[in-house]
Amino acid sequence: MLEKFMNMDRRIIFILVALVVIIPTLIPVRLPITVSEPTQKLYDFIEELPSGSTIMMAFDYGPSSLAEPEPMAKAVMQHCFSKGVRVIGMTLYPNTPTLADKLMRKIADENNAVYGQDYVFLGYRPGTLPVILGMGTNIANVFETDYAKTPITEIPIMENITNYDQIDLLLDLSAGSLTEAWIIYANTRYGLKIAAGVTAVIIAQMYPYLQSGQLVGMLPGYLGAAQYEKLLNAPGDGTVGLNTASFAHLLIIVLVILGNVAFFIRQEREA
Amino acid sequence: MKRQVPLALCFLFGIAMILTQFSPHSYSQAVYREVIVWGLIISPFALVLAVATLAQTHVSRIRFRSEHWQYSIVVFVGMITMVCVGVPFGPKNSVFEWLYDNVQVPMDATMFSLLAFFIASAAFRAFRARAFEATLLLIAAMIVMLGNVPVGDLFWNKLLSLIPGSDNPESWVNSFADGASRFRQWILDIPNGAARRGIILGVSLGVISQSIRIILGIERSYLGGGD
Amino acid sequence: MTNSKSTLWVVACLVFFLCGTYAFSQEPAAPTNVTAKDTPNDDGSSITITWDAASEDSGVVGYKILRNSDAGEFEEIGKQLDANVTVYKDKTIIKGKTHAYIVRAVYDNETSMYSAQTAAVKAKGQWFHTGKVALFLAMLLFSAAILWNIYHARSGKEVFVRRIPGLEAVEEAIGRATEMGRSILYILGLGDVDNVATIASMTILGQVARRTADYETPLRVPCRDPVVLNVVREMVKTSYLDEGRPDAYNEDDIFFLTNEQFAYAAGVNGMMIREKPAAIFLQGQFYAESLLMAETGNSIGAIQIAGTDSEHQLPFFIAACDYTLIGEELYAATAYLSKDPLFLGSLRGQDWGKVVIFAGIIFGVSLEFFGINWITTLLQRVS
Repeated sequence: MLEKFMNMDRRIIFILVALVVIIPTLIPVRLPITVSEPTQKLYDFIEELPSGSTIMMAFDYGPSSLAEPEPMAKAVMQHCFSKGVRVIGMTLYPNTPTLADKLMRKIADENNAVYGQDYVFLGYRPGTLPVILGMGTNIANVFETDYAKTPITEIPIMENITNYDQIDLLLDLSAGSLTEAWIIYANTRYGLKIAAGVTAVIIAQMYPYLQSGQLVGMLPGYLGAAQYEKLLNAPGDGTVGLNTASFAHLLIIVLVILGNVAFFIRQEREA
Repeated sequence: MKRQVPLALCFLFGIAMILTQFSPHSYSQAVYREVIVWGLIISPFALVLAVATLAQTHVSRIRFRSEHWQYSIVVFVGMITMVCVGVPFGPKNSVFEWLYDNVQVPMDATMFSLLAFFIASAAFRAFRARAFEATLLLIAAMIVMLGNVPVGDLFWNKLLSLIPGSDNPESWVNSFADGASRFRQWILDIPNGAARRGIILGVSLGVISQSIRIILGIERSYLGGGD
Repeated sequence: MTNSKSTLWVVACLVFFLCGTYAFSQEPAAPTNVTAKDTPNDDGSSITITWDAASEDSGVVGYKILRNSDAGEFEEIGKQLDANVTVYKDKTIIKGKTHAYIVRAVYDNETSMYSAQTAAVKAKGQWFHTGKVALFLAMLLFSAAILWNIYHARSGKEVFVRRIPGLEAVEEAIGRATEMGRSILYILGLGDVDNVATIASMTILGQVARRTADYETPLRVPCRDPVVLNVVREMVKTSYLDEGRPDAYNEDDIFFLTNEQFAYAAGVNGMMIREKPAAIFLQGQFYAESLLMAETGNSIGAIQIAGTDSEHQLPFFIAACDYTLIGEELYAATAYLSKDPLFLGSLRGQDWGKVVIFAGIIFGVSLEFFGINWITTLLQRVS
């Protein structure tokens, strides 16, 4: 019995995971959210930006992992538009432009922001490092046009923007390790201030950069999105996602505890 | 000659790019910008090579009727469809967007979501308190997992409320409120930060050493091995 | 007498009033100590202007900068600066021309005061960034340490390398696959050819290929990057040639799967389930797909040796694989497997770097305990 439990068919675990993900999605639960320091820092930074400032958002995630960064993008863009901060979007992922373009337009419509004046989406250019480094000298050298093929010289928001000197913050919404590339090349070389919105799996990796001040703030996964939504007093997809994640976390904790109990009982018996 | 030219180019550009990091002069920065532009131009050729290699691999599979060769036809059908829709009408046309939203996005998301299932099964199988270090890791992981989600603080605060005197706002008990998220933050900031810095330092030195070997032509594996 | 006393009072009050008025309402004053200098450590595209801060109750609401070129007319440049600003970097200069500056203080009563004109300055680019001297020296020293150790190792002196269980298991894994008559699956991760982890992984693959050539064990390598694919084909072919087994090399076993992260994971998982390889190597740069592949490999009972410098994926590999090379162990693998003195020497040089950093940390922390922080300040200044 004990052996059977310890070597349980992984499909049983899969079914349990499916249940704890599906049920809270269908029956939403409101859980209290505590705002962590990295999220607060990012919020404060954007809050203190004067109207007319510009931030750049890098949508560095694919369709596979959009569940976590999208609520972050929504919350931050909502905050920016409410404060008159302009947003320049771009991506280093080849299959993300369609996704990011649609997302930016949707959020902008909800916040009455005007394309070309309040925000712009530049699209994708191949070659990660040359793109990051190239924009440091001249954005127009890398992105001659925006995603809709309008020359960026004709876009009002880009009028006074040549390179990173005119960008107040880069928010990298990342599902991989591209944030590190931004830190190494855009922050160290050009002094661009960087914040990150990362998926839960790479949160721990980002902490040394937060402590060294290379990141001005961070949104850690669903939790970060939900915390930002709380600060804006506008619960959204992040809050819903966090509820689902809560139950999945609990299931894993329960499974690990049960596995260890069984492990100890077996050891006792063997002894 | 086949090896000497790329090795010489690697040495030349490697040294030049290092020196541009230390020289702010407009001439050296012009060299730096020029190399970046070359990089931008060269990058898309990798995509051309990808398409050529993909076609070559699957054509030979179909020709020699390798095992499961029928799937190679699916590759070509998918590729040709996306090219025919995407290239003439651009990625913003409705058919391309429909295919992207309803084929690529769900397929990618499905694969990524498998991670949740695999994490659960791997954690159940591998997270055992076999030794002292493993037990420490297990406890730390539990706290971080609990602190990651609001449920952790909810449980913690419920437990605190059971302590007599906790209903008094001045009570010492309340200074421990939201303990799960605060302890998680401490674990991530201090022990995790320390360990990760150690790994980053080691990896960075390894990268520098590897880079020196590549620039000097000692490490030649990127050329396909051999001397 | 009374009259003269009253007059004295009036005079005293007047003097007091005038003194008070003078003390509490200062006359607008021009900015002082205005200097213009070529900005150090730049490409010669800017001039930095500095001036003394006005006192808080001076009534200054901002500053404007005026510039001339080659002793011509002065013109205002840029926006009005805040009252607390005392430095301005003019990045709009005309290269090759000399510029002089005047700082105009703008007062709350809409009056302005002009500073004296600065000396004319010509911006020049610097060939060396003096702020990076420490970094440059550190780079030179570390490179010298590596080269010296390589030279030393070539002279035949033995270099000790600690035991790395993951690399010791390479022989075991290949042997097991040979005994079972099954294939070996080698996964290079998602990195491009310029990625250091991918380069390290390719070198390990070269060593693995030498052994599979000897044992005639099939070696399957699905690639994600077409450039990596071509390099790997060359590399494995060379290994088979070196071992005198060119006939055993099969180019079709090294193939391009897809560029897409999760489609790649799906393809590799499919291969694992269909072909049931006896040994799986997961070496290189990995992201979220790491656990998808490692868990599938675990489910088919293959011996798995992982190695990555993507430290966020290490927990997954440790949970699902038999052996894991952590971080720099991956880079050390080449030296460990090949025993080539060139690689062993550079490994030793790396360790020297670690010792220096370690000593620096201990020294800096000890000084901080006594409130001495020059080493921290020095390191913070290095950019």
